[in-house]
Formats: sequence, structure tokens, C-alpha cells
Amino acid sequence: MSFYKEHYDVVIIGGALAGLSCALQLQQKGIKDILILEKHNLPGGLATSYVRNGIEIEATLHEMMSIGTKEDRLKVGVFFDEVGVDIDWLRVPEAYRFVRTAPEGGKPIDITLHSGFETMSKEIDAQYPGWGPKVLKFMELCNTVYNSMNILSVTPMSKVQMLLKHPDFVKTAGYTATEVMDTFHFPKEIEEILTPYWIYVGNPMSTLPFTIYAFLMADYFRGGSYVCRNFSHEMSMKLQRKAEENGAQIEFCQEVEKILVKDGKVYGVRTARGDEISCDYVVSAAYPNKVYTQMIEPLEEVPEGAVKMINGRRLSVVPVSVMMVLEGTPEEIGIKDYNIFSGDTMDTDKIWENYHTLGPYRYLTSICLNLANPSCTPEGYTQFSITALPLPEAFVNVREEDYFALKRKFANDMIDTYEKTTGIRIRDRIVEIEVSTPMTIAHYVGAWKGCIYGYSHSIDDHAVARLQMKEEDHFIEGLEFAGAHSISGNGMGPAVTNGRAAAKAIFEDLEKRGQMDAYKQHPAAADAMKEGAAS
Amino acid sequence: MSIRVKGFLKDVGGASRVTKMRREMIQSASAAPQPGDPIRALADALHPGKQEFTVTKITPASPTSRTFRLEPVNGHIPPFQAGQYINFYLTIGQSTLTRAYSLSSAPYEALGDKPFVEITIRRNVSYFVPDYFFDQVKEGDVLTAAMPFGQFYYEPLRDAKNVVALAGGSGITPFVSMAKEIAAGCLDCDLTILYGSVKSDDIVCGEQLAAAERACIERNAGLIAAGRKSGGQVRVIHIMSDDPDWTGEKGFVTRELIEKYSGAAGGEKSDTTYMFCGPLAMFRAVSRSMEEMGITPRRFRHDVMAQPGNVKQIPGFPEDQIGKTYQLTVVRGIQKDVIPARADEPVAVALERAAIAIDTHCRGGECGFCRSQLLAGDIFVSPLGDGRRREDKEMGWFHACSAYPVSDLTVKIPII
Repeated sequence: MSFYKEHYDVVIIGGALAGLSCALQLQQKGIKDILILEKHNLPGGLATSYVRNGIEIEATLHEMMSIGTKEDRLKVGVFFDEVGVDIDWLRVPEAYRFVRTAPEGGKPIDITLHSGFETMSKEIDAQYPGWGPKVLKFMELCNTVYNSMNILSVTPMSKVQMLLKHPDFVKTAGYTATEVMDTFHFPKEIEEILTPYWIYVGNPMSTLPFTIYAFLMADYFRGGSYVCRNFSHEMSMKLQRKAEENGAQIEFCQEVEKILVKDGKVYGVRTARGDEISCDYVVSAAYPNKVYTQMIEPLEEVPEGAVKMINGRRLSVVPVSVMMVLEGTPEEIGIKDYNIFSGDTMDTDKIWENYHTLGPYRYLTSICLNLANPSCTPEGYTQFSITALPLPEAFVNVREEDYFALKRKFANDMIDTYEKTTGIRIRDRIVEIEVSTPMTIAHYVGAWKGCIYGYSHSIDDHAVARLQMKEEDHFIEGLEFAGAHSISGNGMGPAVTNGRAAAKAIFEDLEKRGQMDAYKQHPAAADAMKEGAAS
Repeated sequence: MSIRVKGFLKDVGGASRVTKMRREMIQSASAAPQPGDPIRALADALHPGKQEFTVTKITPASPTSRTFRLEPVNGHIPPFQAGQYINFYLTIGQSTLTRAYSLSSAPYEALGDKPFVEITIRRNVSYFVPDYFFDQVKEGDVLTAAMPFGQFYYEPLRDAKNVVALAGGSGITPFVSMAKEIAAGCLDCDLTILYGSVKSDDIVCGEQLAAAERACIERNAGLIAAGRKSGGQVRVIHIMSDDPDWTGEKGFVTRELIEKYSGAAGGEKSDTTYMFCGPLAMFRAVSRSMEEMGITPRRFRHDVMAQPGNVKQIPGFPEDQIGKTYQLTVVRGIQKDVIPARADEPVAVALERAAIAIDTHCRGGECGFCRSQLLAGDIFVSPLGDGRRREDKEMGWFHACSAYPVSDLTVKIPII
């Protein structure tokens, strides 16, 4: 008796957004024999929720990007439409409110920006008269780079073509966000106002590639951002259901312990339960660090280059989140904004240094879900979270007997800082409170060192370079990666892109071997392949 | 538009430059594998999953209850908070049954050189498993269990420092743990326990509670004598519902008694968190009292309650279903098994009877460990402690411990 088929074309390790999107993309081209093995007992990874005393609590740190409006669909929105995943999106009302307390002898900043390049530049102009047009130019540059990035990530191009068609992208590719922003000679306050989203890619501005920064700014300010009516769990469940309808097998509570390799080629996986499952391809959401140091069996199959790659690259941030249900409506509490970035400085190098410690953290992002999704709590309550994103190094010496105290320290510190910076009092209203840490992530999701953002988006690990080095970063035949650790990096939108990229790598490999036909199990697939080749 | 900045205008080599930079960064890195992940190691220490415990001591906790002391075979117990529970995986006949018990020992006793935990079980409170503990489990036996679980604990970030516990019968156990932790100076809150029993013989852990009360008084006297601030205190008020010889409080845990003992030590009214653990009937009465007293949900916490064995106690249960048996098709991976399932027992029980493993924990519908997928048929989901996510409800996912078949069913459950 067995719970599995004798063989699968593709085994996907991890049923989160990347793994599910990979399955859907594979199915688009007719590959049907897919098994998804998920460690937890539900899909989505971090795109999930949990219930406390009847109230469902969102577990993600922030909203979904790259969806766009019905009229101006962005990349992920287009993909969901194509595969027939219909999610009840609710648009987040503003981009962010930014509150930076006054430095000694200086002035505080308190500004709220909404999506739309013109809108946000006017909002800045209202506080800093005369600067609006230049901010608009800056945002247009971000948008040009964003458009180029979307095209270039799927369409290979010669250098000359690139230069002709995507000059801004080419010219800014070698520079950091700070370097490009400096050329605009904004007043310091405007630079600060344009900086808060840096934390969504987890790298200080001084070493963050402008390309990545531009992508983020253009995506959020052009398309706005979205949350699901039934929490992120809705998105995860709908992706799962579609993948199952298309024929994928999904099994929960199955942690994959080993990836079986012979003569440089993958031939299966083994689960913690002991099931050995045969397959041609493995797509891993487990980090390369874990795969190349623990999971490949035998480990001798791991080439030296793979180890150097994971040792050279730096891991990005881990989350510390205080998630609360508060007594009272947002109005009663005095919360007017969905998203507030707050702190006493916007110097990202200083914040980065601070994020190497266990706090108190100087820079916080807070989210009041009710202001995007009023139905997220029963009447009279508010769902509210505060997050900091420190580095995993800060946690290596934490002892288990101190863990509960550490969680409470985080919560106390973060609530204090939030209350002081914003003047909003929340402490006396707590109905439910949970503190999630990198250990929480490691426990539920299994992510290496509790990392949610993959590798640092720094200039020496530039996404453009990752794309160019795709071939040389590929070490074991039949093994692809799909997660925040892949080329496009972190975030729920990029997770979908990363999953699709892994599927594409499998198509390319099958094409190369002339085996695509053998995998296609329905007639439409042949046409789909032709279309794919043509584009 | 293009940037009209001189420096960038001519620089078309950025992409090549960053690629070279990345290649050099990787080439100069160490080739020695670094397989350690201290964060996952800590996560695993905090949540070790199933582990083995030796039963080292069995002592009576009342004429009808026993305390089982458990020491870890590997010497390690994950830290827990007073009020949390342990989940046993008991092999009884062909089946593996999962059952949760609140820990009655204190968290500090699980640390140190000779760590242990204790559970206290009263006989005949629910079917099957208590008998197993009373009749089968002996000192020296090794049991499999996982811990800690549950959110029923004092949370200083949220709860008032003055805590009034409302306990009935064997629902006293989480408060025994709390009382001992306070007495040891490891938890800083003031705990008043209103403990309802039928007669004095039924009091579970009475001696341990009295010892905690005494220890707090002595410690605080010492602290005050030394000019220091006194620590947390414990006081226990026993209430007998049917004991003519009892000289203390009598009757049920009513609003009058709750109000009488809600004040802080000084007697004046203060901000109080109420914590409830006990049988369903008592929960309903206490909930009414809370409502009458104007206590908001923020100040009234209750432990997870297992679904009642008698389905008639479940609001809305379709009584015409009682006694019926349906066919349950269980899908695990590509395998299908067909088993009988009674309409008046949760799906999880049908699986256990058929020796198909299902990982239940709270058995009250809340925790979601036994989350399963309904592929065909109809179920009745108990509204008591319904902890399903919204999208799960819409898509037909359910918690097997609190869902009852009302037709032939096909369900998919995790492979264990």
C-alpha cells in the first residue's frame, strides 16, 4: 500500500506561493504529473492566517503587489487571470503614512502618500512647495526601469538591443538607490519621504541596487497594493484548489528531508515519514543553504561551487512581529492609516546597524488591516500589527529558557516606540496578542534561519547579475529553486514570479532534451508550447 | 524619459560590472559547508514534537484522581507557560489515540537538572482514555507525547495583574500550575481561585493548592520584613455544590460569589482578568455571569473545551441523526479506505476506531491540527469553539474533532 504514485514528473517541495505558482505554470504547458509536499498542514507558507478565540488573524507582514487594477493589470494579476484564480482583492487605501520624529534641533516629518505618481508628487509638493515636478520625474524614472525589468526578466535581449530599448535600465543598473537619488538633489526630508519602502526589500539604500528600489516604488505607487477579503489564506487556498483541479497532488504535513541525486542528476525525494518518491525534477522552496548542506543525498554530489555560492551570499532579514486584536474600532483608537512607517531616523545604515541587535528597534512598520478590510474583525475590534525586520545574526545566542521573556520584551519595546512616535495608545486595548519571531517562521515554514526575504538585495548580489549568472548558479541537473531565495527575491508578488521562473527553467530543459512531447498529456499543450516558443 | 545626469549618461556597463562583482564575491567565498542553523535548532528545542516520557511517579490527587509524573527520556523538556497542555499519542489496541491534558506541574519544574511535568486525571470524566490511565499505566512505563500547546496562560502584556480563576472539577489543573509558579516566584500576578466541586472528596490537587497559598504568604512576609515589595499571591476559595458537612462557601460559582472575591487583596474593586476552565454547563453559567457583570471578552479568557461526549449538549445538533451510521471514504494520497462513521461521533473518532491516524490536539475544534478536506457529503460542525478560517469554511475544510457526518462522506486527511 502506498500513498504516492510510482513516479512524478515534478516534485515541488513547499506549498507556498512560489510552489503553487510553479505548479500552475507547469500545468499551463501541459505538465500534469505534479506532487507538492508541504511541511505544514495548510498551504501558503507565510501567506496564511490563524484563529484566536474566533478571530482570524492575518499572518503576512504586508500586502500583495503586482496585481494592478482591472484596467491596468500588473504581472501577477495577469498571471492569476490567465490561470483562472479569482481572488476577492481589496485595494489598500494609501501607500503609507511616514512619521519621523524630530532630531535634535530639527523638524519632524509626518506625511501620507497615496498611489498614483501624480498624486504622491502633489502630496509631497504640498509640504515641500516646488519639488513636486522633480519627484514626478524621479517616479517616472522608477517606472521606466520597472517596465524594462518586467520585459527583460522574461525576454532575453542582446546588449545593443537593451541599450536601444531600455536605456534608463541599462544606465542605472550599476548604481545604488542612494547614488541615483543623489543625482536629483532633493532636500534631505524628501529623500527620507521616498525611502520607507526600503525595508520591504530588506537592504539599506546605500547598497540597494536602484533597479530593485525602482521596481518596488513603481509597483506600489502605480498599481497600489491589495489584500484578500478572506486573508492571505484565501489566495493560498485558491491557488491550491486550482492546482488540484488541474491534476496536481498536494500532501500536507510532509517535510522533505532528502533530495536524492545520482551522477549529478535528481531522481527523487525522501520525506521525514520515510516515503521515497521518484521524480525527474525537484523544485525546492527549501533554501539552497539547507539543500546543499543537509538535504542532497549523498552530500558528495554537491559541487564546491554550490557551497561557495551559499557561503558568499548574505541572508536578508527575519521578521519580528507583534500581532494584536484590539478592543475598539480604529476610529475609537485613533488609527487613521492602514500602514505607518515610523521611527526616529530614516538613515537606513543606522537602522541596519540597529537591526543587528535584539532591539529596541528604531524603525517600525505597522498595519491596521481594518482600514483595507473592514470585515477582518467582528464589529468593535481592530486588527493591528507592528513589525521590525532584523538580521538573523541577532538571534544566534538566544537561549530557549529566555524565549518567552524575549518575545514579551519585543512586544513591550515595539508598543512603546509606536505609542511614543505616533501618540496612539494601544496598550490598554489588547484582546489578543501574539509575537512571531524567526523561530516561529523556522518552526512552521522551515525557512533557513527563519529568513523570509532570501538573500540580501545588495549591489554585489544584484538581481540583474543573478539573472545573467542563471546558468552558472545551476549545479544539479533536475533541481530548481522557487522561493524568496530565487532571482526575483522576496515578497508575495516576486514569490509568484519565482515559482513561474522555476517552471520555465524546467520547460527549457525539456526542450533542450527534446522531451517536451513526452510530458505533454493533453493536445492543447502542444499549441501552448508553440506560443511559448514564439513569444 | 532618461536621466540627464552626465555620470550615468555614458555608463552602459553597469550590468556587466555588477555581474563581475557578484561573480568575484562568490569565487572568493569559503568552500567549507556550514550546515548549522541555530534558529531552526532553537525552534526545534522549543517545539520538539513527539518525545518519550517515563512515568516515574503516580500519586493520588483526590479519591478519584491521580497525578502522573513524567520525566523525559532524552532529559529535555521544552519551556512552557502555566495553563498550556501536553498531547499524548496512546497506542490502545490497534489505534493510536491522541489526547490532550493541561499540565498541572509548574513551568519551573520542567527546567533544571531533573526536569519533569505532571498531569492530573480524574476518572470517568470522558470516555475511554481516563480508564486507560487508571488501569494500564504503571510507574516505569514510557509514553509518547508532544508539548507545549494552547493559548490559555496569563499574558502580562494583556491581562490584569489581578486574576480570578473560575474552575470546576478537573478544570483546576491549569490553575494548579499557575499557583505553583506564582508560589515559586516565577510568575508575577495575584491569583484568586474560585473552585467548584460537588463535595470535598472531589477536590483535585487540594494539598498542592494549599501549599502554594502557604508558600506565597511566607515568602511575602519575608519580603515585607526585608523591606521589599511583596510578590504574587494565591488564594483558593472552595465552593461545594452538594456537601452538607462543608462549612465554607456552598452552591455554584455564581455572580454573587465571583463579585465577592473579585476585589484585590484590599477588598476594593480592581481591574481583573477572569480565567475559566471547567465543564460546559458551568461555562455557560459563568459566561452569563460575565455578561451580567459587564466583563468584556478582553477580560474573560477560557480554556479550550473538548466537544461534549453527549451531542445533545451541542447547540443545533440534528438530533434525528443520533444513532445513524454512515459510510466514510478516507483519502490519503492516492489511497482510499472506506470505514463506518457514526453521526453522533466526530469524524476524528470514526478514524480512531478504524485505526487510521489523525493528529488531533485540543479536540474542541479550535486548534486546527486535525484540519481536513471535505470532498463529498455533508457534515455538521459544532458551533462550540469553531476555530476554522473563513476561507476554509467557504471551501469545505473542517476540523475532524468537531465535525459530525450527516451523510456518507469522502474526506481527505494528511498522511501520518
